[in-house]
Amino acid sequence: MLKLDNLSARVGEEESEKTILNGLSLEVPAGEVHAIMGPNGAGKSTLAYLLTGREGYEVTGGTATLDGKDLLAMEPEDRAAHGVFLSFQYPVEIPGVPVMTFVRTAMNAQRKARGEEEMSAPEFIKKAREIGGILNIDAEMLKRPVNVGFSGGEKKRLEIFQMMMMEPRFSILDETDSGLDIDALKTVANGVNALRSPERSMLVITHYQRLLDHIRPDKVHVLAKGRIIKSGGPELAEQLERDGYDGILGEVA
Amino acid sequence: MTLADLKEQFGDPTPAELQLIAKYGELPEDARRLRAFEAFAKNGLPHRRMEQWKWTDFRHAIHAIETGQPRREKTIEPSDDALVFRFDGKSWHVPQDLPDGLSVFEKSEAQAVGNAEELPLAALAGALTGQSGRADLLQVEVTKPIKQPVFLDFDYERLETAFARIAFVVRPEAKVDVIERHAGGAGFSSVLVEFGIQDGGHVTRSLLQSGGAEEATAITAGVTLGAQAVYEQTALAFGAKVARIETRLAYEGEAGRAHINAAYLPADGYHVDFTSHVRHGAQSCVTRQLTKGAVNDGGRGVFQGKFHVPRSVGQHTDADMQHQAILLENGAEVYAKPELEIYADDVECAHGNTSGQLDETALFYMRQRGIPHMEARALLTEAFIAEALETAHPSVRDSLLEASRAFLRNEA
Ligand SMILES: Nc1ncnc2c1ncn2[C@@H]1O[C@H](COP(=O)(O)OP(=O)(O)OP(=O)(O)O)[C@@H](O)[C@H]1O
Ligand SMILES: [Mg+2]
Repeated sequence: MLKLDNLSARVGEEESEKTILNGLSLEVPAGEVHAIMGPNGAGKSTLAYLLTGREGYEVTGGTATLDGKDLLAMEPEDRAAHGVFLSFQYPVEIPGVPVMTFVRTAMNAQRKARGEEEMSAPEFIKKAREIGGILNIDAEMLKRPVNVGFSGGEKKRLEIFQMMMMEPRFSILDETDSGLDIDALKTVANGVNALRSPERSMLVITHYQRLLDHIRPDKVHVLAKGRIIKSGGPELAEQLERDGYDGILGEVA
Repeated sequence: MTLADLKEQFGDPTPAELQLIAKYGELPEDARRLRAFEAFAKNGLPHRRMEQWKWTDFRHAIHAIETGQPRREKTIEPSDDALVFRFDGKSWHVPQDLPDGLSVFEKSEAQAVGNAEELPLAALAGALTGQSGRADLLQVEVTKPIKQPVFLDFDYERLETAFARIAFVVRPEAKVDVIERHAGGAGFSSVLVEFGIQDGGHVTRSLLQSGGAEEATAITAGVTLGAQAVYEQTALAFGAKVARIETRLAYEGEAGRAHINAAYLPADGYHVDFTSHVRHGAQSCVTRQLTKGAVNDGGRGVFQGKFHVPRSVGQHTDADMQHQAILLENGAEVYAKPELEIYADDVECAHGNTSGQLDETALFYMRQRGIPHMEARALLTEAFIAEALETAHPSVRDSLLEASRAFLRNEA
């Protein structure tokens, strides 16, 4: 599914130039859920943005492919049509565009790009109601402009709402658990688990063991200083929770 | 004054000005016509060395007046019940059956133009309309609330020039909804629309302007409001080579109220100018003005707004002026001059003026969800513009939004 090979990238121009990813390699096979943990500023969000095509990053080496296709050569909207979804660490406000309009426009744009039929309005509304019900998002909220005036937790739930609507093949969740209350964390985890299937994979960026208790990841990776410095099973997350990053960073160095 | 004298006054007239002088020369002599034409002749076609026209230079834009080549944007259509008044560039065509409370008078003499000195192109329209045998000047009297909207359709078929004038007299407690479609098609056109709204009268005006890339057009409104009269104006303009949409409004009775909202969307090679002047000549009047623009590479938007609040008569004025523009691409130009001229001391006046780019983060978020760049841009811009069009007449509000949507998606 996703294959990152020796990926390096930097941000900024000239003097303020800074290397953030530094020879990162990672493979997430189809059907698997992998977690990425790592200290603040390690480059986790940068990796997520790089994979989704945000401007401002310069790839200085390495490759990133999804099912063998060069991700880095695609426009952000084409990556989305290929099934790449990012649940943003800081979801963005879209003033004046209601959630329903936004999600429907996005889904139909993806379908069009893939040469599929558009989703009919009744079909769309039915699905939105169903998923809204699971995530505790009422119809009123879906009429409001995207993320405008939403609470932190509501924004995160809306990200998962979109993920469940779009059923992406490859999802990246960037700290979706941060800011969620205990119940919301469970609903979100249930949403993630519901999407698990042999054709889909996920990369879950998190700082906490809590979410991983609900989503049992197949693998856990530690990202530090722009590279994956250690990989393991779910027990690695437990070790991190216990010992912090100092231990592991020391181990590797 | 003879034609030769007038030519003299121009100094060094451009071919376009010579054409206009010749047009004037064909008309019967009339003192009011002469006065209006003199107001125009004083400076000729407005140009950048005139303070009010520094960003909208008609003289430079049209060297010689040529036949218009309209650009067909998505536009608005009259609703089934609308009373369509069509101006074909020469004459008005008015429905036979008019509802009770609406009377139309054809004028066959030129009429004086208020503020002619400050409104040279309106003065020109005044000078070149009102001749027997040609119904280019109408007076409409409204004595009751009229249910059906009056749809003024300015639609020209490849003309060099078009000049029209229509004046509404709205009697106390009467109401009329006016919708205007300016579709272009004349190389040079000037339209003057006047509203004399008496005590408690109410006028809404919704307007769509589109025109050819080689056309020059001026649409001027002169509005006076009596006590507790209401005027609500909403305009969407795509512009032309130069397009000036000007509103001059004066409160003459207490507690009048006006909304002046506008949106402009000039494409490459197009120019839209929204200029307004509001005189708070009576106490406790309320003005709300919101102008929004989004400009493409090579397009130009101009906003000039002025609130004039004289001493004592302007007491308790409540006025707010907002202009917000988005530069969609490098090479887009926006010029803005909001002015508050306040001499009264007990007033609430505010203004805001911003121009910037679309939010890159929002664009990326939308693209990440699969919405192509152009579509994301169009959605964001449309949402931005929409606020200024909310006040449009319900029968055309959606089509105004659709027209901007189509334009932003390059579907025109
Ligand atoms: N545009 C930029 N210009 C300069 N520095 C940047 C830019 N973007 C990211 N950085 C820096 O790159 C480093 C990695 O940032 P990133 O957001 O990827 O960290 P993270 O691992 O997601 O951290 P957190 O756990 O706090 O979310 C940080 O030091 C950050 O300040
Ligand atoms: Mg981060």
